[in-house]
Amino acid sequence: MIMRRTILWACAGLLACQLSGQQEVTIRITEGMPMIPVAMPSFQLNETVALKKELVEAVYETLWADLDFSRIFKMVPREHYTYIPRFNPGAIRFRDWASIQANFLISGQLELTADERVIFSFKVYDVAGERFLFGRNYGGKVELARLIAHKAADEMLRHFGEKPFFTSKIVYVSETGNDRDIYIMDYDGQRPMRITFSSAMDMLPSWSADNEKILYTSYRNLTPELFMFDIYSGKTELLSSGGSNYAADWSPTADRVVFTSTKHGNAEIYLKDMNTGQERRLTFNPAIDTSPCWSPNGREIAFTSQRGGTPQIYIMDAEGSNVRRITMEGSYHDSPAWSPDGLRLAFVSRIENRFDIYVYNLKSNQIAKLTENAGRNENPSWSPDGRHLVFSSNRGGGYQLYLVDYDGRNVRQITRRGENKMPKWQKPQK
Amino acid sequence: MKKWLLVMLAFSLILMLGACAKKAAKVEPVQEPVVEKVEEPVAKVEKPVLSEEEIFQQKSLEELNKDQILKRIHFDFDKYTIRDDMKSILQANADWLLKFPSVEILVEGHCDERGTIEYNIALGEKRAEAAKNYLVSLGMTASKIKIISYGKSKPLVQGVDEATYFQNRRAEFVITKK
Repeated sequence: MIMRRTILWACAGLLACQLSGQQEVTIRITEGMPMIPVAMPSFQLNETVALKKELVEAVYETLWADLDFSRIFKMVPREHYTYIPRFNPGAIRFRDWASIQANFLISGQLELTADERVIFSFKVYDVAGERFLFGRNYGGKVELARLIAHKAADEMLRHFGEKPFFTSKIVYVSETGNDRDIYIMDYDGQRPMRITFSSAMDMLPSWSADNEKILYTSYRNLTPELFMFDIYSGKTELLSSGGSNYAADWSPTADRVVFTSTKHGNAEIYLKDMNTGQERRLTFNPAIDTSPCWSPNGREIAFTSQRGGTPQIYIMDAEGSNVRRITMEGSYHDSPAWSPDGLRLAFVSRIENRFDIYVYNLKSNQIAKLTENAGRNENPSWSPDGRHLVFSSNRGGGYQLYLVDYDGRNVRQITRRGENKMPKWQKPQK
Repeated sequence: MKKWLLVMLAFSLILMLGACAKKAAKVEPVQEPVVEKVEEPVAKVEKPVLSEEEIFQQKSLEELNKDQILKRIHFDFDKYTIRDDMKSILQANADWLLKFPSVEILVEGHCDERGTIEYNIALGEKRAEAAKNYLVSLGMTASKIKIISYGKSKPLVQGVDEATYFQNRRAEFVITKK
């Protein structure tokens, strides 16, 4: 399905090239998929109630940034809109928009109700077919303006057969002064919300399969223990018993959590059934075994082990058997993160004291480097659609969170206050 | 000639005046005041050097830890084996600990910043464990030693050179009970 669609857009792109004739068009092709050119003129305002300029801009800029970030859509630059007559939602001149290389056109309208709610209506048009494609209306409190824009962006992805992720969140650790607590924010770094308030260190957060709970490690009882916080009930539960417990990952397919524990004296990987509470030890090795991470189908677990002398990435079956080593070169690899399509493993490697993020393709056995010569880069985590990653880096001095595409492009900083580390993007939902 | 006479006259006048003035300033010499010497015999009081036992009794846990009665040890890069030059420090720590069998300690394992967070927690714990095992081999009771790893989250010093990293790759011995 996706393949066919890809070919379709490739054809559409070629056609656009031929039609434009003498004009030179550059189409950047990544993994055989050209991006879809979309134009989005300024939103119309309903003048009955005075609408704040910031509010309009928040929705417009957020939606623009989302689509621009997607790697699915390519936003036709705003300067080009001045070459053609002003957009009129009542009488759309599709040929004008075709002349500036827009394949699709988004029109938006914003309204503020008497009870201070924003109503955003957006409509999407097929420029070549000169027809209305689909539209949605969203209404919500003024402070949810950004979320409304993310919803619209998700709808765009859904309509074009892609997995929506613009409303997804990132959990991370933020440090200001001596405080080190866990926060949740939108994928673009906006609307941060603190969720733990302990004076001890809270760290290494991760999501449950349904994205409603956060697993994390805390030193609040003077030893690293695993806690589970339910975001919607506000309840916190202690999960572990004995030894140090950390680096938990919830299975995407069942209520099972893998984590590292030293309850039997050495760092080993354990499996906990969240329904029965039963635990099972998966590794039996005097070396360090840690950083377990589920494959998206829940059948395998990637982890780090020092059994060969240095920390390397291994994969085992979910029962602990059939262990095989993945990284062969280099002396330090850790923090494996399995891509949602199951084809790739991202991890951190230390080479000549540089920490960079690499992506290993499990099918082709090829390794690509995502970060280059820019500080220490750690804790990669995939976006639910598998096209982006979030990671922490101290390239600008202190640690901050950055996004990068799966091919190393479009690096952008998303946090700025204090120091921010250990990000985990929400898990993909079916 | 006249000039000469005048000069002579002036000279003699000055001399005479000077003599007069001297005569007028002459006063009976005042007797030097008797200064009484104030002395105090030096008391032979010496601040006693506290014995280890007395230090132990007098100081609080915080003070004992602050004074680093138990010395920290350092590790090689990515390793958790006890270095030969650290064994004498552990021996000294064990000697002290064996004198005070009521003492319980917490061994903290730490790492330098050149590692990932997850792996360093494990590595720090291995270091703490290695230090604990060494103390036990010297006669300490295992149940009196607890361990914890802080990974790389609590560096001792800040910096980006090997000397700094060496300082940070360590096991610390914290007295938790006297």
